[in-house]
Amino acid sequence: MEIVKVGMAGTMESSDAIVTIEPNTDSGIQIYLQSSVEKQFGNQIRSVITETLRALDVDHGIVRVNDKGALDCVIRARVQTAVLRASDGGQFNWKEED
Amino acid sequence: MGKLRRTMMYVPGNNPGMIKDAHIFGSDSIMFDLEDSVSVKEKDAARFLVYNALKTIDYEGVETVVRVNGLDTPYGKEDFEAIVRAKPNIIRLPKTEKPEDVLEADKLISKIEDEAGIPSGTVKLMAAIESALGIINSYEIAKASPRLVAIAIGAEDFVTDMKTTRSLDGVEILVARSQVLLAARAAGIYALDTVFSDVNDEEGFINEVKLAKQLGFDGKSVINPRQIEPVHQIYTPTQNEIEKSIRVLEAIEEAERKGSGVISLDGKMIDGPIVDRARRVIDLAIVTGVYVEEEGEGIA
Amino acid sequence: MEFEHFTEYRISLNNKKEVENIKAFLALHGLQLDSDVEYTVGVFDGERLVATGSICGKVLKCIAVDKEYQGLGIANKLVSHLIHEEYQRGNTHLFIFTKPENYTMFYELGFHKIAEVPNSVMLMENHPAGIKNFIEEIKKQNKSGQKISAVIMNCNPFTLGHLYLIEKAARESDILHIFVVWEERSSFPAEVRYRLIEEGTKHLSNIVLHKGKDYIISSATFPTYFIKEYQRVVEIHASLDLEIFRSYIAPALGITKRFIGEEPYCPVTRTYNRIMKEYLPQKGIEVVEIPRLHRGENAISASLVRRYIREGDVDKTQRFVPKTTYEFLTSVEAEPIIEMIQRDDHRH
Repeated sequence: MEIVKVGMAGTMESSDAIVTIEPNTDSGIQIYLQSSVEKQFGNQIRSVITETLRALDVDHGIVRVNDKGALDCVIRARVQTAVLRASDGGQFNWKEED
Repeated sequence: MGKLRRTMMYVPGNNPGMIKDAHIFGSDSIMFDLEDSVSVKEKDAARFLVYNALKTIDYEGVETVVRVNGLDTPYGKEDFEAIVRAKPNIIRLPKTEKPEDVLEADKLISKIEDEAGIPSGTVKLMAAIESALGIINSYEIAKASPRLVAIAIGAEDFVTDMKTTRSLDGVEILVARSQVLLAARAAGIYALDTVFSDVNDEEGFINEVKLAKQLGFDGKSVINPRQIEPVHQIYTPTQNEIEKSIRVLEAIEEAERKGSGVISLDGKMIDGPIVDRARRVIDLAIVTGVYVEEEGEGIA
Repeated sequence: MEFEHFTEYRISLNNKKEVENIKAFLALHGLQLDSDVEYTVGVFDGERLVATGSICGKVLKCIAVDKEYQGLGIANKLVSHLIHEEYQRGNTHLFIFTKPENYTMFYELGFHKIAEVPNSVMLMENHPAGIKNFIEEIKKQNKSGQKISAVIMNCNPFTLGHLYLIEKAARESDILHIFVVWEERSSFPAEVRYRLIEEGTKHLSNIVLHKGKDYIISSATFPTYFIKEYQRVVEIHASLDLEIFRSYIAPALGITKRFIGEEPYCPVTRTYNRIMKEYLPQKGIEVVEIPRLHRGENAISASLVRRYIREGDVDKTQRFVPKTTYEFLTSVEAEPIIEMIQRDDHRH
C-alpha cells in the first residue's frame, strides 16, 4: 500500500497509542517510537510496527508512535488504521487474514 | 443448563483501556460496540481494534458479542467481513425491523465463514429490536434463522420512534417488552432487556431489573461494571426457592425409582412446568454459587 | 478500565455563558482565552468544568487542567481530542506554546521542543524532526559567499519600497536570502506574494527566495504578529521567533547580516525590530535598518497600497508598486482579492 498523505489513528489515553504515518521523501521505513514502556518493550513494539507494515505492503513511510502502554494488538490496530487513512482510498483485504 | 445471559456489558469499540479488561468484571457476556458509541470518523479504527482484540486477547470463556453497524449503513458490510473472521460468540444486529434483516446477515456470515474456513454456524446472531415495526415483526424475526440465539429490546430508539421518552416505571415500553418476550419464548430463544442509562440511580436501576426479571427476561444489558452485581443478585434464587426446588426434584427422583406415574408433593400434583422451573432454579443456584451440589446426590 | 464519567464537550464560541465559563476557568490558571481561537473543547465532570483547550490554525493553545484532576489522564484525553480535531481540519503538523515548566507533560504527549525563551515560553511541535527537516530543506539552497544576508518579508503586496530594500541589501551582499512569510492571514495569498516578489526581482542574480513556512513569523512562532496583543506578550513571541532564526536558520545558511525596513507605524513590528537588534548581534548577526523609500510626502508601504485599493483607486497604486505588481492588480486574478480588501482590510 502506498502512503500518499498523513494518516493518524489512536489516542494518548492509557493503554492506547497514537500512530501517525506520512510519506517519506527518502526510501524505506523510518520509525520514531516514544513509549512509557520503552525500556522493557521498545524492541517488541518496533517489531509489531514493522510486521504490520510488511503485511500491508508498505515500503516507504515515516511512522511516529506515541505509546501509552498499549497491548501489541492495539498497536497493530492503530498502525493498520493509520496506513489505510494515509493511503489513497485503499481497502483492507480481510480475505488475506484467513 | 443453557448459557447464562443475565448481564451483557457494553464496551465502546474504540477504547483500548476498556477492551483489554472487559472480562474481569464478571458479566456473563461482553458486548463490543462498533455502532452508536463510535463516531462516524472512528468506525474504521474501532473495527480494527475490536478485530485485533478478539484475535489476541483471552477473554477466559466470557461470552463475546460484537454490535456491528447495520447492513444499510456504509460500515455494516466491512464490519461483518472483519468481525466474523475474529470469531466472537455472537454478532448483534442493531435496529432489526424485519426477518429479512436477519436472513441477510445470516447469509453474509455463512459466506464469510465459508471463505475463511470457519465451521458453518460458529458465529451466532442476536437481533436488537428498536422500532415499532420491529416490535410488530418480533416473532417473525425471532424465528427467522437457527443462527439467532436471542432478541433484545433497545428502548432508547424505540421510545423516540414512539414519539415519547423513557420513564422510571417503564409504562411506555411495557407492551414492547412483553411482545419481545412473547416472540422469544414462542421461538425458543433468549430475551434480553434494554439498558438503564443513569449509572448513578441505583434504586431506579434495581426496580427496573426486578421488573424485567418478573416479566421473564433472561437478562439485561449494562453500561457500567457497577451495574453487574445488582443484576446478578436479583437473578440469584432465594434460599426458600432453592429449598422448594430441591424438594420438587427429590419427589421426582423418588417417583422414578418407584416407577410411579403420578407425582405429588404435599398433596399437590407436580407436572412438567413445575419440574422445569425447579431445574432452572437449581441450575442458577449452582452457577451463582449459592448452592453446592453434594457428592452423589445427583440432582438434575 | 476507566468507565469514567468525564465528558468532552465542544464549547459554542457564540454562547456567551459557555465562553464566560471557559474564561473564568483559564483565569484561575493564569491564562486567557485568546481572541483568535477557532475551536474550544471542555472536559466536564458532571456539570463541573475540569479541563479546557483550544485550537487556532496549527496551534493548540489555552490549555489548562484543574489541579484536583491532574494525574487522571485528562490532559491526554484533551490533547488527543484537539489533535483529532486538527487532523479533521487538515492540520497534522502542530505546535504548542507553553511555559517551560510544562515541558515534560507535553513531551509525553508527543511534542518536541523547538526553542524557548528562558522562564517565559517554550515552543513545541508534534514532530520529532520537524525543524530539522525544515533546515535540511533550506540547506539545499545553500550558496557560498563572503557576505551572506537575509531579509524576511510579508509583501502584502510587493511594493517599490520592498524592491528598494531588496536591491539595497543585495548590493551589499554576495548572497541575499529572502524568506517570504507563509501564513495565510494576509489579503494576498502566500503564493501570490511569493510570485510578485519573484517577478519583481528577476533582474537580481544574487538572491535566493524561500517559502517561510512554519518557522519564520508564522502563527506558530509569532502569534501576536497576527493578533494584536499586550506589549509583554509581543516581546516574548518576538524573542522566540528570533531565537529560531539565530539558532537554526542563520547557521544553516551562514547568514551574518539581516536587513529590515524601518517601521514608522506598526507597534508590533517596531517591537520586533527593537528586540532583533538585541538578539541577533549576540550571535554575531548584524542588523541593518533601511529607511523607508518616499514618493512625495508618502512613505511607501503595503498598507498605503491597500488603502488605495480599498478606496477603489487601484490606478493610484501605480506610483508605489513595480510594474509586475501593477499588472497583477489590474488582472482578472486579482479581482477577488481586491473585493475582499474592499470588504475588510487586515493590518499586515
